[in-house]
Amino acid sequence: MNNIISAKNITKSYGPQLAVDNLTLEIKEGEFFGFLGPNGAGKTTTIRMLTGILKPSKGEISLQGQSQNGNNNNAGAIGVVPESRGFYEWMTGKEYLEFFAELYNVVDVEKTVSKLLNQVGLTSRANSTIKTYSRGMKQRLGLARALVNSPKILFLDEPTLGLDPQGQEDIQKLLKNLNQQGVTIFYSSHLLTEVSDLCTRIAIINRGSLVAEGSMAELQSQMSTPGQSLKDIFLSLTKE
Amino acid sequence: MNAIKQIWLKEIKEELYTWKSMVWLVVTAFLFSFTTYLLLTNKELSLLDQTELLFLLSQIIIGVGLLIITIDASSIITSEFEKETAESLFLSPIKIKDFILGKFLASFTLWVLIFIIATPYITVSSAGSNLVLPFLGYVLFLGSLGVSAFIFLNFAISLLYRSSKNTLTTSLIVLLLLAIPAFLSSTFKNNTLGSFLGKVNPIDNIFGFLDNVLVDYHTRLIDNWQFFVPVIIFFALMLLFLIYAVRVFKRRGLIQKEL
Repeated sequence: MNNIISAKNITKSYGPQLAVDNLTLEIKEGEFFGFLGPNGAGKTTTIRMLTGILKPSKGEISLQGQSQNGNNNNAGAIGVVPESRGFYEWMTGKEYLEFFAELYNVVDVEKTVSKLLNQVGLTSRANSTIKTYSRGMKQRLGLARALVNSPKILFLDEPTLGLDPQGQEDIQKLLKNLNQQGVTIFYSSHLLTEVSDLCTRIAIINRGSLVAEGSMAELQSQMSTPGQSLKDIFLSLTKE
Repeated sequence: MNAIKQIWLKEIKEELYTWKSMVWLVVTAFLFSFTTYLLLTNKELSLLDQTELLFLLSQIIIGVGLLIITIDASSIITSEFEKETAESLFLSPIKIKDFILGKFLASFTLWVLIFIIATPYITVSSAGSNLVLPFLGYVLFLGSLGVSAFIFLNFAISLLYRSSKNTLTTSLIVLLLLAIPAFLSSTFKNNTLGSFLGKVNPIDNIFGFLDNVLVDYHTRLIDNWQFFVPVIIFFALMLLFLIYAVRVFKRRGLIQKEL
């Protein structure tokens, strides 16, 4: 399998502060890649660089072999659920998805939007304004927006944050299904059980640097005590 | 082209759904009605020559247009940053040029609506004179140049500051600094400083242009070039300022600092 996401020695600094330090990631097509780290470790900065919202201070990024250097040249191929959860609150869920479908030049807007609303379970609230949505519904709408262009790569920055167990389960099922259809998923979350259940490979970063990478079994074999849970591995690698 | 249209439509719908523009348009209609009523019925004001009356009305239309557009345009871009919708928007294949053009069209549409509301007042006040068409044409033309320049200014400040409060304050200060001399007495305008400011001030020159058309009947563009040149220069400078701000925005990126 080819590398669909490739980040070589990427660094992001804000003046003297180093947010991401010489990070290298190679993600293969069709992978479900978990990306972990404590608060402030540089996860969101990394995702923003990979998605083209932020330009790295150093290093090279490519998606599907195309350079990604702080631009949205690859926007058509990727879907993103970003950390910032801003919505046009006055729009209905349907109008919101239609607006983004038009921006992506989707061919059959109505059909696509209707399918997405159904996929995330928002059909019954499609014509309600977003300001009346619960947090969970907004999360699901954000995910539907990320899927509007049928992306090959999906970046998710804590997509289940604030969701109840049923909401988390629904999103996990949807993501598993998308991954089975061939979508590469780059998944950042603090819910370690969720990550160990879903992801085929996991990377852990701390203070902007990569501290471990591999499948669950590989991560366990790297530890001194075998058979540790992901939570134990994470805590031992990121403790101050 | 589609992205420009989508941004424009989104803004227009937002202005209507949130009643922002509707309130401005109602206020505008009320203000024009009140002014025209006063001009036509007040004992002293009704003694004004019709051309003077038309000139006064043109100043009010353009003045109100500039003020409302400045207030409205100050938040049209910054709201995307303040409400955290910019990241999702710029993750889509939209170009910054399309984003700016769509937003510009939305702000400009509000000016067109203000002008449409003003049209019956202009027509009624110019009845009996042969100034209806020059009045309508020049108020639209000069108003559009002035309004566009102020939209450019607002957008440039929005991209640099990314805060609606800072944008509104700065733009209103610029508008007031340029507008106040236009209403100062002729005594002030006759001294060296006043005369210089009068020659370079775009708002003063828009009003000078209209005075020349409506009061002195110099209706051809060529007869008013001395007023037209400073307006065009201001327009070009504000456009250049916006182009500079877009470059700075691109260099800084959407996210300025986060850890």
